[in-house]
Amino acid sequence: MDTFLAALFSGTSRGAIYALVALGLVIVWRGAGILNYAQMGQAMFSTYIASTMITNGNSYWLAFVVAIVVGAVMGVLLDILVMRPLSNKKKTELLSSESMRAAIPVIASLGILGVLQALAGIIWAAEERGFPAPYAQEGFTVAGNVMPFTSFDVFVITVVLTTLALTTLFFKKTGVGLAMRATALNSEVARLSGIRTNFTRSLSWAFSGAASSLAGLLITPTSNLSPNTLDLVLIIGFTAAVVGGLDSPAGAVIGGFLVGMVISFVSFYGSPEDVFLAILAVLLLVLIIRPRGILGAKDARRV
Amino acid sequence: MRAVSKAKNRSIARKSLRRTIFFVILILLAGSTFEPYNQAQLALVLILFIGVLSVTLLTGISGQLSLGQGALMAVGGYCMALLMTNQGYSLWMAIPLAMVGSALAGLLLGISAARLSGPYLAGTTLVIALAIPTLANRFMSVLKGDEGLPVDVGYPPVWFTNLFGEPSYEEWQLYVALPFAAIALFFASNILLSRTGRMWRAIRDHETAASLSGVNFSRQKIFVFVVSATFAGLSGALYGLRGLVGPSVYPVSLSLLLLTAAVLGGIRSIFGAFIGTVIVVFLPDWIDAILHSFELSEQVSNFLPALVSSLLLILTVVINPAGVAGTHLHKHKHK
Repeated sequence: MDTFLAALFSGTSRGAIYALVALGLVIVWRGAGILNYAQMGQAMFSTYIASTMITNGNSYWLAFVVAIVVGAVMGVLLDILVMRPLSNKKKTELLSSESMRAAIPVIASLGILGVLQALAGIIWAAEERGFPAPYAQEGFTVAGNVMPFTSFDVFVITVVLTTLALTTLFFKKTGVGLAMRATALNSEVARLSGIRTNFTRSLSWAFSGAASSLAGLLITPTSNLSPNTLDLVLIIGFTAAVVGGLDSPAGAVIGGFLVGMVISFVSFYGSPEDVFLAILAVLLLVLIIRPRGILGAKDARRV
Repeated sequence: MRAVSKAKNRSIARKSLRRTIFFVILILLAGSTFEPYNQAQLALVLILFIGVLSVTLLTGISGQLSLGQGALMAVGGYCMALLMTNQGYSLWMAIPLAMVGSALAGLLLGISAARLSGPYLAGTTLVIALAIPTLANRFMSVLKGDEGLPVDVGYPPVWFTNLFGEPSYEEWQLYVALPFAAIALFFASNILLSRTGRMWRAIRDHETAASLSGVNFSRQKIFVFVVSATFAGLSGALYGLRGLVGPSVYPVSLSLLLLTAAVLGGIRSIFGAFIGTVIVVFLPDWIDAILHSFELSEQVSNFLPALVSSLLLILTVVINPAGVAGTHLHKHKHK
């Protein structure tokens, strides 16, 4: 029973973070039609910046805000410097085929990931370092028993749920959010009706960069920080996004919690080594049974 | 009709053979002038060239982006190492059997991945690249976990030393890799020039149009995976022969290295695959040669090759996606 509770709680707080990662992937996929494999590289980079600020004596909260802003700025820069020139190049011979048009941005994002990881290695050395949590990481004591749930977990879940709620409100209630949804639906028509699609696309990158930096800040206290630590998180976030449906933000959240639970139960009842195989099994299962994901639109892109 | 296609096939085979002979002579000439260190590097080029060809065929020719070639290399490596250490096979027997093993793995992958495209395929194969090496710890008793299985190229047979004298260990590595690289080059060139290559390019350029012209594209897609996996398995087996077959030998970064090489050189051509492999293998040495006077710290020099090759990858994709070799090999297609 104790193991079960521990797995459940850890699955919830980890799942919240995976939901955030998946949301970041989904926003860029909808907004720009690109699956951004560099996303957790950006998160790693901004978390390193926060870590450096904290070691230099700045407060945790200042570093927290700066990291999120850096994540957003980095997203915009990647869009303007790499992805936009790519999408303007569609007329070249190599990009004339549909499959290469999908593959080239993926290759570019892998290049960006490589650059960020190498830069982080050069600037901050490759050895792992810890990252502080703003709240205690000891379990609550209920009736004399230490529960596997910490105040940091409460903080994580609160922050993630607030972010998810604000994102939903933003997309549903604001004009800019509406413009972004329109661009996602059909960028040609959106542009014809006066929406600056370049702007909304950059905004998607900014949102996704901020969300993934937040995820990086929330997950590194329980793992460690090194140039490669967040690779696994990206894989998990990708699986979560596919499980929920790549074009559905709500699906990403559901997928995040689901995958978080699977991973947590596998590592509590099996061995942590099996996590990779469990992720692969979940991914293949979803792609075979329901390729569009739980909440994916019926006429989603062909997979 | 049949006679015509037979004559055509023969001329394609002759052309591929000419390329292969030219390639072998070039490598032998270069290898005999190099010092041992560069001979080992050249052997590495030949080994990775086979792996890069698997990317060229799969991604450049048939348009399916896979980030899991490292996992298929691991399958080839482990098949070979198990046959050599447990069954006592020689490497000349073990490597072809390992290629069969990785072809079977490619068949499984192809059947499950043939319906995926673009980012879905890339993500799924990335997960595979991460998951497969962990099997080594799952089946500890056979695959020996993180320790891995030590294998090497051994010593040349007596007839070889009698004919050509005693080669150094590095030289022997080169001579083991060369026949396999030559065979791989011959087959890749044949495929690219033949009807099969045309079908694969048709799938890449327009699936609907391809299937309307009578290409059974789901079968061809699976076939591409099998062929590409055979190349990757061969490359992985030879890669393991450099000393060890283990999970740390086939990390995800190996898959990304192959992709980087393929894109830098030119993802659609065999020549490009070779150029790209030379670039990624010798890049650390070149950087070292240029910057050794600056007394860089170890931290910087460790990550500099990765930084430069990633930057080159981005620049290639943004400025000239066709890579160094361009697309001159198939110019006839886009007049």
